[in-house]
Amino acid sequence: MGLQTGTKISLAAHGLLVSWVAFGAWLPSEPLPLPVQEVAVISAEEFARLSQQIQAPQVSESPNGLTPPAASPEPPEVSARPETRPDRPIPEATPVPVVDEPVPALPEPEPDPEVADRLSEPETPPEVPALIPSLPVPEQVRPADRVAPVPVEAPEEEVAIDDLVQPEVSPDEGALSEQEVQEATAPEAASDRIVTEANESDEAEPAPPVAAPLTSVRPKTRPRRPAPAEVAETAAPSAPQVEQASAIEDALAAAIAGGGHVAAPEPSGPPLTVGEKDALRVSVSKCWNVGSLSTEALKTTVEVAVSLDPDGRPKTGTIRMMSSTGGSSGAAKQAYEAARRAIIRCGAKGFSLPSDKYDHWRDIVMTFNPEKMRIK
Amino acid sequence: MRRNLTALLASLLVAAAPLLTAGSAAQAQNGPLRIEITDGVIEPLPYAVPSFLAETPAAAELANQITRVIAADLSGTGLFREIPATAHISTVSDFNAPVRFADWKAVNAQALITGSVSVNGKQLTVRFRGYDVFADNELGAGLQFSGTTDGWRRMAHKVADAIYSRITGESGYFDSRVVFVSETGPKNDRRKRLAIMDYDGAGVQYLTNSSALVLAPRFSPTGDRVLYTSYESGFPQIHVLDVGKVQRRVLSADKGIMSFAPRFAPDGNTVVYSQAEGGNTDIYTMDIATGARQRLTRAPSIETAPSYSPDGNQIVFESDRSGTPQLYVMPATGGEARRISFGKGRYGTPVWSPRGDLIAFTKQSKGRFHIGVMRLDGSEERLLTASFLDEGPSWSPNGRVIMFTRETQGANGRALLYSVDILGRNLKPVRTPDGASDPAWSPLQK
Repeated sequence: MGLQTGTKISLAAHGLLVSWVAFGAWLPSEPLPLPVQEVAVISAEEFARLSQQIQAPQVSESPNGLTPPAASPEPPEVSARPETRPDRPIPEATPVPVVDEPVPALPEPEPDPEVADRLSEPETPPEVPALIPSLPVPEQVRPADRVAPVPVEAPEEEVAIDDLVQPEVSPDEGALSEQEVQEATAPEAASDRIVTEANESDEAEPAPPVAAPLTSVRPKTRPRRPAPAEVAETAAPSAPQVEQASAIEDALAAAIAGGGHVAAPEPSGPPLTVGEKDALRVSVSKCWNVGSLSTEALKTTVEVAVSLDPDGRPKTGTIRMMSSTGGSSGAAKQAYEAARRAIIRCGAKGFSLPSDKYDHWRDIVMTFNPEKMRIK
Repeated sequence: MRRNLTALLASLLVAAAPLLTAGSAAQAQNGPLRIEITDGVIEPLPYAVPSFLAETPAAAELANQITRVIAADLSGTGLFREIPATAHISTVSDFNAPVRFADWKAVNAQALITGSVSVNGKQLTVRFRGYDVFADNELGAGLQFSGTTDGWRRMAHKVADAIYSRITGESGYFDSRVVFVSETGPKNDRRKRLAIMDYDGAGVQYLTNSSALVLAPRFSPTGDRVLYTSYESGFPQIHVLDVGKVQRRVLSADKGIMSFAPRFAPDGNTVVYSQAEGGNTDIYTMDIATGARQRLTRAPSIETAPSYSPDGNQIVFESDRSGTPQLYVMPATGGEARRISFGKGRYGTPVWSPRGDLIAFTKQSKGRFHIGVMRLDGSEERLLTASFLDEGPSWSPNGRVIMFTRETQGANGRALLYSVDILGRNLKPVRTPDGASDPAWSPLQK
């Protein structure tokens, strides 16, 4: 026997009510926020004044005194460059400071320079150059742009440029012995590779700090030996050396004059050590400037022969190109000329070679291979 | 027994004697000492150029000016360094007198240039000789140029070109011109017109007025004509301008079709350019005489900035077919293109070197713009510059130097021309009277 619908609803409603009274009514709940309106107490006069209707200004019928608006600026130029242009970084907007100063008027654009009707060419082009007969051959400082095998820090301004590092020596007034005055010298500043604008920031990055020493202390140079007491003994060996040199020159002259094959004397004694050869190689490298060579000459290896005097100076007349590989004859000529300049310039004071091994270094063939120098 | 042992040892020694001799001979040095030099230095070559002698009273001023232009040309390359006159020991008082090489060696002048100038009415004659100081001889034969006094700057450039060529072994680039877009006025009202000048910024002349926007001028292979894009009709269209007569005409006059980024083929008779039609941009060629066109690319992406190889057989161009702008090379008749740029970033405006061995380009990477060069296969990429905005490289006639546009940042930013050599050295601004962009270097003048 079922209950009537009204009874069911009544039972459910009473059940909910009992449940709410039993549980819900005892639970705390947040009070609803009360709307609060701040008010100000004003007087009746003030209220009357505030509620008074504001009169609209009278508008004259005829718009006298109207001035035409200033010419609107031209619409911003549309970047009409059709080529795909990469995105530019957009800088963040910065607040514009308000300044009460009057805005200066834009300067009037200058009138266009006249378009040339016809180009004023200097234009009587120079005639075909004429050769000038050869002459008989008779007897500011930029910052270091130098790229060298070993990087060198810039020397102080007053230091003279030289391959040797020497401190300045000025004679002491109270010194007992006579002292030689010596100017301070240091090698020219150099980098060991080309630094472009694109990678200079990489260069500028400081190296990570390390606790270990980066370089070892260089041993001090050996003090010079005192001059020997008896001069006569030292003078003696020079005589045969001069004789030997003159004999070599005579033999060379005879060979150049076509006097038949002259057999070079077999070198005797121990050959040059690896260190001695390296020292010679380094001394020539310092003067081998490839900065002004063409890219083709920079691909050309040349073999250059030279004979040296006993004092280590190259005999200029004996410098000759033996062979070349990798480039045209023109490129080989440029490469050879750079090599010749290197030998003459750095040998001007004599290469540092052991005089007792002269037979071994009297004739030298130097191979100048610029492969490593192409893009340093 | 002992006797037998002694005899055996003796025979062994006799047998070994030749071997020992051979060993010691091998240890000794045969022939000249041989060494290999692989490390050198790269630095400017010091040279001296005493003021050229004035052979006539009227030539005094010109002689000095010509000398200064020669020195500026040579030192401006970054390959040479002038030894100032105050350091000279010798003076040159007679053009035909022998040179005292020792005096020039003492100041470390490795090259010496002497010359004389004579003026007879409007006729100008310049003679010069170059010397390899440390070799005690001349750098090639002396030369004499004749012309008019109006052309004294060109004669100075020609002397500098000859000296440059004799020392470096490659042709010079001093007797050349540059066409560019001159820019005046504030950024929101910038006026642009075509202008032409000597490579060093001297003698600026204007080729168009500023009534219409002009872009991207390009010289013909002979330097007598210039292609450029103009918005004169409100639409980008290609014009060709006769440089001598300053006469121009429209090459592409199709309404509704945008054509831009033109460049001459090495034969001077064909133009390669980009054409935008229906929202798609592809590369076309046009015969200048007949107007006949040929479409080279057919891709839904943007293909632009084409540039011929010096032999005219290939074209390098920019395309975003891979998603970002990259460089591609295709045959000059069209066909399959191969991508050559693979570095991180966006590549654009490729230009083939006149030597044919390198491609210059603009690259954007990490918010910076670079001018760079790479081999034809994309290898050995080398970034030469870095700034807020560098773009639009153009090669010098000898392929040793690149000129480009550098724009500075901010509301007052302006565009200027800069040059840099292909090793990234000697970066410097090019003097122009106003702002300047889109440089195009001419070939050497005849």
